[in-house]
Amino acid sequence: MEGKKRKSRLIGQIKNKFSKNIYYRFTAFGVLLSLIPLLSTVGIMKVSTVSLFAYIIIFTIVAMGLNILIGYSGLISLGTAGFVGFGAYGVVYFYGHGIPYEFAALITLLIAALIGIFIGLFSLKVDGVYLAIATLAVGEIFSQVFKKVTWFTNAYGGVHFKFPKLFGVLQLQKSTMFIFLVVMMVLFMFIMYNIVHSRTGRALMAMSRSDSSAQAMGVSVPRYRLIAFIIATLFATTGGILYASFFRYVQPLDWNLMLTLLVLAMVVVGGVKSIIGTFLGVFVIYGVPTLWLEDLFAGTEGIAYIFSGVLIIIVVMFYPNGAVNVFQDFKKLYKKYKNGELKIKVKKGQKANE
Amino acid sequence: MSNSTVNLDKGMLLKVDNISISFGGLKAVDELSFDIKEREIVGLIGPNGAGKTTVFNCITQFYDADTGTVLFNNKNNETVNLNDLKVTNIIKEGLVRTFQNVELVADLSILDNVLIGAHTLYKKGIFSHILKTKKACKEEEEYRSKAIEVLKFMGIDHLKDQYAGGQPYGILKKIGIARTLISDPKLIILDEPAAGLNDVETEELCKLILNIRDKFDISILLVEHDMGFVMNVCDRICAISFGKFLAMDTPENIKNNPIVQEAYLGKDDD
Repeated sequence: MEGKKRKSRLIGQIKNKFSKNIYYRFTAFGVLLSLIPLLSTVGIMKVSTVSLFAYIIIFTIVAMGLNILIGYSGLISLGTAGFVGFGAYGVVYFYGHGIPYEFAALITLLIAALIGIFIGLFSLKVDGVYLAIATLAVGEIFSQVFKKVTWFTNAYGGVHFKFPKLFGVLQLQKSTMFIFLVVMMVLFMFIMYNIVHSRTGRALMAMSRSDSSAQAMGVSVPRYRLIAFIIATLFATTGGILYASFFRYVQPLDWNLMLTLLVLAMVVVGGVKSIIGTFLGVFVIYGVPTLWLEDLFAGTEGIAYIFSGVLIIIVVMFYPNGAVNVFQDFKKLYKKYKNGELKIKVKKGQKANE
Repeated sequence: MSNSTVNLDKGMLLKVDNISISFGGLKAVDELSFDIKEREIVGLIGPNGAGKTTVFNCITQFYDADTGTVLFNNKNNETVNLNDLKVTNIIKEGLVRTFQNVELVADLSILDNVLIGAHTLYKKGIFSHILKTKKACKEEEEYRSKAIEVLKFMGIDHLKDQYAGGQPYGILKKIGIARTLISDPKLIILDEPAAGLNDVETEELCKLILNIRDKFDISILLVEHDMGFVMNVCDRICAISFGKFLAMDTPENIKNNPIVQEAYLGKDDD
């Protein structure tokens, strides 16, 4: 009896922590995800599925950056794929020149941030559609660099990489690298959460809703536009670095406008301003077609694109704030069910009683 | 900071001296001068298109005045020429404004909207926020409780966790004022605070503005079309027409001033 009470109290405490503390939720989510390699070793899951989840995790980080840019600062960038590619090539290039993995990543991030500032400076002059076109051009420049600048990217041959050795001691394997990805994703979820719930996040939102009102409150619009672009760039570049580290091969044709638009779709479908929604968006846009639909419609090229197109239309129509709101509808439905307002379910309950 | 050689007299808070601004050929503000004393509520009135909001924008540096100076006795009791400052630095001196159409962030909670007003008070940067250092958390906590206090004063602290979007207009106006109060201002500029409010709300606002002056020891400059409201709440009124100064006096005297009457009646004849 005593033990039972203590147990229920413990469960209550844990429940309380989870509902109050978002960090616990992110961490728990991360722990769940890091079990995936285990599933493949046991044989429940295909090895290729692990790679698929790695891709989803990487692009969750990328999409979170774009989510901050779109959702909070109200800006747009169509150069995302370029930065992911740059991150991937950058870390390979610097590592190839004898720089340790961590520093190679840092240098890559630093350069990317500088380019991010450069684009941010664009955004001071132009808005909306014009900004989209300007960043589109930046993405296209990246794309051309990947194809043509042989010393950096080895052109169409692509570049090879290997699993990194962290801090010179911890040699990562496929499964540990996957866990490293998960750790990074959870870390970036924390970062995004902390940024948007701080003075910076509020300033970004004030700026995006009304320039003049933000200025009257002392928010420097140029400064925060730059900050928004730097954040988005760093998230995308980190994604690229992790991509190279996990897949160990980078080739130039992957980093095109199509990828940028897919990331955009991930943000919109998942839920603008939502962190878990971003993961959901990536899973729905990239995971679902690859995981199930391509087998189902084997031989039909581009089924993924058709699926995403239809999905975007559906989500925009029914969940304009993102698919993440589906959960809330489920919750409401569950509450209704509990209160016995849902007729069909009540009948089921009666049967169980009989 | 104070490149101005002139110092304001004691008890004086703001001195608008000879400011003019024109857009194309139109002179929106024409050699306008007036002043505000400490703990004074001043109304700026004038017929439609008189340039009242333009005057606000010149003071708060949204527009650069072509000529003239705007001297202000700031938080440190130094006289600064606001024309030398950037628009985003005005709030740091202790001068903050609201907007005619409120301009809040609809998808932020009311509390967070108020906290935007404390933006310049924060000392910790983005990195300490990302790392959630102890100091950054403490700072956030400090301003959060300050914001709640301000909301309590405004009488809307029970709504603090609701989104600003979808609140009635009266509440939105109050949030707008709350967010100016959190920045420790010496002077608040209110752009049509009573517009869109019903009679009861206007009366309430009247009391609130007087309370603000008494509790926070600050001055208020306001533009308003509701003459009853202006006459009730203001210590002095500055009347302008077509950007030109007409008169500045107590409400009673302004009411009986023939030049002011003409400006208003002239508008009726159009």
